[in-house]
Amino acid sequence: MRHVAALLVAVMALTGCATGGPAAAVGPIKEITISISGKKVTPPPGRIEVRLNQGVKITVTSDVADEAHVHGYDKAATLLPNHPSVISFLADTTGLFEVETHDQDLQLFQLVVS
Amino acid sequence: MLLAHGVGGRQDLPIPFSAALAGAIICLVVSFAALGFLWREPRLGLGLDDARPLPRFLQWRVPAWVWRAVGLVVTAYFLIGFFGPDDADNPTAGVVYVLFWVGLVPLSLVFGGVWRLFNPLRTVVLLVRGERSVRPLPERLGYWPAAAGLFAFVWLELVAPGRVTLPVIGGWLGLYALAMLAGGFVYGVRWFDKGDAFEVYSDLAGRLSPVARRDDGVLVWRNPLDGMAGLRPAPGLVVLVIVLLGSTMYDSVSNAPVWVRFVQENSLPSPVLGTAGLLFVILLVLGAYLLATRLAGRRGMGEQGRTSGEIAHSIVPIAVGYIVAHYFTLFLYEGQRTLALLSDPLMTGANWLGTVGWTVQSAFLTPAAVAMLQVTLIVIGHVLGTALAHDRALVLFPRRTAVAGQVPLLVLMVVYTVTGLMLLFAA
Repeated sequence: MRHVAALLVAVMALTGCATGGPAAAVGPIKEITISISGKKVTPPPGRIEVRLNQGVKITVTSDVADEAHVHGYDKAATLLPNHPSVISFLADTTGLFEVETHDQDLQLFQLVVS
Repeated sequence: MLLAHGVGGRQDLPIPFSAALAGAIICLVVSFAALGFLWREPRLGLGLDDARPLPRFLQWRVPAWVWRAVGLVVTAYFLIGFFGPDDADNPTAGVVYVLFWVGLVPLSLVFGGVWRLFNPLRTVVLLVRGERSVRPLPERLGYWPAAAGLFAFVWLELVAPGRVTLPVIGGWLGLYALAMLAGGFVYGVRWFDKGDAFEVYSDLAGRLSPVARRDDGVLVWRNPLDGMAGLRPAPGLVVLVIVLLGSTMYDSVSNAPVWVRFVQENSLPSPVLGTAGLLFVILLVLGAYLLATRLAGRRGMGEQGRTSGEIAHSIVPIAVGYIVAHYFTLFLYEGQRTLALLSDPLMTGANWLGTVGWTVQSAFLTPAAVAMLQVTLIVIGHVLGTALAHDRALVLFPRRTAVAGQVPLLVLMVVYTVTGLMLLFAA
């Protein structure tokens, strides 16, 4: 049992050291531009990282009517065909959040707030 | 797993690479230290005769019918949700996927395999049929029905289109209940012991509980490894355990941008690709298992074909560690939200449980703490699995070849654990 305890301490020490310090101050607004055409997302879905408490401005243009949605933050915008829509908010919760459209069910990107 | 649009939309940050690496190194060191320094005679699963009883004030015994009644009442309450509007504020999906499926693990880890006490399907069969059965339960059925049920559930949870909508959840639960009731009516209540996926899932995690009831009815402290070592090989056990581990890994994989891109840019419908992906990951995990246990059996001079079933129990802590690491923030966030929603399942403005005003508390969940806890849980699972495999190898293999036989098993566990850590880092 003592070995297990020592091991736990070791894991905690190692992983504890590994993670970052306090959250950064509010930086410049992160601007993200996405377009959807023929069910194809450009740029292709990936991860976009922002700092905690950074402003995020997402501009989405779709070739068909749809709704864009940021999970977790629960922010949504109606998309009209070929008309840019904007979602902006303060990234004040850490985590990984999927941004997607509802009708076509496409993932646009994953927002990583850390 | 991504649920509704509320708090459940948040997922954990990938763990830092250094944390994943630290966990992996510890696992390697522990595994090979285990080969050299752990005990040389098998000592697990010897029974509870010498176990220390719990203090007297904890030695209470509630009649089984009380738990069964609780199970029926809670189930009836849960079913009310099906009459409410089918939207993000309906508690049904949260109850099924979070409170029940994820919550059953911590509940069982503390109290043992308790779902058999509450299981409303078992209760119905007991009420209608008592202990009678049409025909005896064939031994060769083993865990196969539970393995099939488990696969069906993880498919629902991770792949099925519309998996958070009421018709899909209701349809699945209806079919599952029918299948289980049919099994119970034909083979008697013993069917549920190895046939009901949720009882078996609860039993697997519950074997790691530090508390057990001895045959004489006394509650005793036990070594969780003893409980786990009591899981005996039976048909379907290996597949059952592998589905548990493989499906959680698939959940990580399916979140990786690479996979998302692949699915979205493919012309095949996403449920087809999801099903194929889930099967592929499970088969990969199974293939690695069969290869390693076969090699172990040969190098350790064990009885042919026996090793794979005998080692299956040691995969359970690895799977449970990974499941808890993967889902515990979901449980905390979405679990709290679901409890709040449960007060008003019909969305009429009611507050039946007094939980409507609950807001989700998450103060202590900093990303650093979450990453640390995740790595720690995975490492604990690995350590327990290694110890279990070591002890069983001493039973299976002659002393001369025991170490040689263990090497493939250790490599297998290191591969599982490091894969789990890398998935938490990358996906």
